[in-house]
Amino acid sequence: MTPILEIKKLYKSFGGLEALKDITFNIDHGAIIGLIGPNGAGKTTLFNCVAGIEKPTGGQIIFNNDGNTISIGGKKPEAVTALGIARTFQNIRLFDNLTVIDNVKIGRHCRTRSLFWGAVIRSRFQQAEEKATTASANQFLDFVGLKGREEEIASSMPYGDQRRLEIARALATEPRLLMLDEPAAGMNPQESRDLMDLIRRIRDREITVLLIEHDMKVVMGVCEHVVVINHGEWLMEGRPQEVQNDPKVIEAYLGTGAANAARVG
Amino acid sequence: MTRGAMIRIGFLILALIMPFLPFVTDYILHIVILIFLYMILALGLNIVPGFNGLLDLGYVGFYGIGAYTSGLLTYHFGLSYWVIIPLAFINGAIWGILLGAPTLRLTGDYFAIVTFGFSELVVLFLTNEIWLTRGPLGLPGIDVVSIDLSLLGGPKWEFIGELPYYYLAIVMVLVTVFVMHRIQNSRLGRAWFAIRDDEVAAVSCGIKLLTYKVIAFAISAAFGAVGGSFFARWVTFLSPDMFKFWESFLVLCMIVLGGMGNIWGVMIGAAILVSLSEVLRELLPLLGLPVGVRFLAFGLIMVLMMRYRPAGMLPISAVAAQMRAGRTKRKRLKPVSRA
Amino acid sequence: MDIRRLSYNRRRRLFLQQLVNGLTIGGIYAMIAVGYTMIYGVIQLINFAHGEIYMLGAFFAITFIVSLGIPFFVALPLSMACCAICGVLLDIVAYRPLRRSPRLAALITAIGMSIFLQNLAMVIWGSRPKPFPQGALPAYFEKTAVSFGGVNLSWFHLFIYGMTFTMMVGLNLIIKKTRWGKAMRAVAQNKTMAALAGINVNRVISYTFVLAGALGGAAGIMTGAFYNKIEPTMGYIAGVKAFAAAVLGGIGSVPGAMLGGLVLGVAEAFGAGYLSSLYRDGISYGVMIIVIILIPAGLFGRVLKETKKSM
Repeated sequence: MTPILEIKKLYKSFGGLEALKDITFNIDHGAIIGLIGPNGAGKTTLFNCVAGIEKPTGGQIIFNNDGNTISIGGKKPEAVTALGIARTFQNIRLFDNLTVIDNVKIGRHCRTRSLFWGAVIRSRFQQAEEKATTASANQFLDFVGLKGREEEIASSMPYGDQRRLEIARALATEPRLLMLDEPAAGMNPQESRDLMDLIRRIRDREITVLLIEHDMKVVMGVCEHVVVINHGEWLMEGRPQEVQNDPKVIEAYLGTGAANAARVG
Repeated sequence: MTRGAMIRIGFLILALIMPFLPFVTDYILHIVILIFLYMILALGLNIVPGFNGLLDLGYVGFYGIGAYTSGLLTYHFGLSYWVIIPLAFINGAIWGILLGAPTLRLTGDYFAIVTFGFSELVVLFLTNEIWLTRGPLGLPGIDVVSIDLSLLGGPKWEFIGELPYYYLAIVMVLVTVFVMHRIQNSRLGRAWFAIRDDEVAAVSCGIKLLTYKVIAFAISAAFGAVGGSFFARWVTFLSPDMFKFWESFLVLCMIVLGGMGNIWGVMIGAAILVSLSEVLRELLPLLGLPVGVRFLAFGLIMVLMMRYRPAGMLPISAVAAQMRAGRTKRKRLKPVSRA
Repeated sequence: MDIRRLSYNRRRRLFLQQLVNGLTIGGIYAMIAVGYTMIYGVIQLINFAHGEIYMLGAFFAITFIVSLGIPFFVALPLSMACCAICGVLLDIVAYRPLRRSPRLAALITAIGMSIFLQNLAMVIWGSRPKPFPQGALPAYFEKTAVSFGGVNLSWFHLFIYGMTFTMMVGLNLIIKKTRWGKAMRAVAQNKTMAALAGINVNRVISYTFVLAGALGGAAGIMTGAFYNKIEPTMGYIAGVKAFAAAVLGGIGSVPGAMLGGLVLGVAEAFGAGYLSSLYRDGISYGVMIIVIILIPAGLFGRVLKETKKSM
């Protein structure tokens, strides 16, 4: 079974700064993959390269979706979303001044079509599409647990709910691969548990999940496979337990002394 | 029925019966028609700053193009106005696409200046290309609108006086409002609001920024041109100095005052400013002030509005929070990567 | 006028004449343009009302000269000072309260102030063009100072060139060598950091407006005196052209604005002389649009700092 995403020697430099150096790893279909590493390691840069916000300086990103193999490095973000990769943002980027349901409806944008003419004359096609958009938006809100809050203004919601809304919006684009950037940031333990549950349910819908996360409980609890990068380089990957105890990883996070201490103790 | 809808229907009824009220003179009808015309223009311009958050300073360019196209087609070919309306719409849209496609990728400041330059070039063109437009001499003798059923063996009614134009204007305003309302609550309108709120997030939902901005600009231009086409057939005389930057500014004032992005707000803004302009025109000489003080007043109104009520009198939430000072979202498409 | 039919001498004279015209008006554009560019540099706002400061400079001058009998060479710096004050007031009253507001609001305010000032001038001084009181100018201004290729440069020409040159050099020195200049550059690069470094950002911005206002006012006076025509709408056209010059040179770059002004002035003179004088203003608009679309960074500048909108 081909991996859903193949990252091959991905290289990204900003002028003189090398953010990603020949990163190579694969993501299997239907997996929940964690991407970890200390701050500044290049995780969000990697996300941005896959999502199309940054253009890779070198290397390839191959997306395998339903038998189609597409090289997506360098494609524009809207094209990447249309192909089936959605993402959330580290600093939550909702449409603050719009309602909850409008946020999700906008997520449906790339899967719908009607434009000016349809809007004005309300053709049958347009009406059907609008109904479907509303219905599926409601479904996604229900899925993330925000049912009944459709008309609230996005910016007025508590932080945890905003995260869930952003995930709902990303899901509305019908991705095959969902990339979550630090979804558990700022969450209390209960919210983290709910999040993990949500991620599992997303995976159950056959959506592959790639998440950047610092909260180790979440990583250990929900990821099946973890990739570690540091200083823009691939460090190691493996099952969560393997990664957690690997001295290289400990050294990357905590420094050499801690690694030695871990080895001895 | 909501209270808002009842108020609007009330106004509509008032507008329909107004010509038959006792104190209403032709002069008043003329002013109200002017209000209707500016409502159409304001609704058209509203799309760009109101729905998309971009400052279009060159709106009068499309207005002028629409007017002169309508005037010249009538003058030389005697085209019926009912044919001209869709032509003006399409022509306006084409110019909107031509101007928008290369410029809408620019940042807001540059875009504003380029649109301004465009409208100035239009005026220069209209003034200098005398072979086409008769330049500063103006283009007189444009036919009035007429309903011509002669080909079907029926009569031909010409629009004489203000009254027929009055009702035509009402119809055109209603159509414009209808279109705007429909767009606002559609996928297209949502995409625009998304772009206005957060471009990066909009892109991540698959919205192609440039395409949608160009669509907005083209529709806005189309309505401006339609307004111009009406103007030409109504005043039956055109000259380039009717299409100066001041008109762009005036329409901008209307949408700022009334509430950017709010369909009803901009209509109210149009009504207020046109009325105010006329009132001041009569009032100022009585106070010993030159008529030019009106313009001063409008400039001042804009500055004060931006200071105290930047979202206008009837703000819509999507715009209101955005226009207020304070927390501004980082909108750069290429975030400074940290992780 | 068919160029080809003219004799060599006349063609040369035409060329040189346009060059002289171009450099004269170009210097004036340059002085206004640096004002735009400096203000853009520190507050990222196109000060639409800057053209009106230029216009006010001319009006202040003739008011001082005609109504108060002040001699020209005193009225000149006095008007410049008044314009500097106007500039600061403009910032404090209109722009500073909107410092943290979205761009759209500030742009609209700038336009509003521009319209307001234009019409205020119309109310105060009337909308008819006024001549400059030529009697106030030194008599020798008329006289030819230098002559070459059939073209005469009067002392007035030289005065303008001299003023322009001095001010450009002076401005450069201020920006490069003085503490204020350094502070301006710091604020232009990064306001937050500048504030953290102890710079009083608001005061630096006011200082920028002072410089911009003074230069703009000087440009206005010289234009009014040289072309002998002062009217409230003169700031409007000149403002747009100067902005085009600033864009051409790279918005935010002072040397760019200076160069841009000269280039635009010369281009306009040659365009009007050789191509079509009807589209004289159109040349500036055209240049501006083309430059913005094709090379937004201009000759020297960075691309407009994108703090709010992207793409």
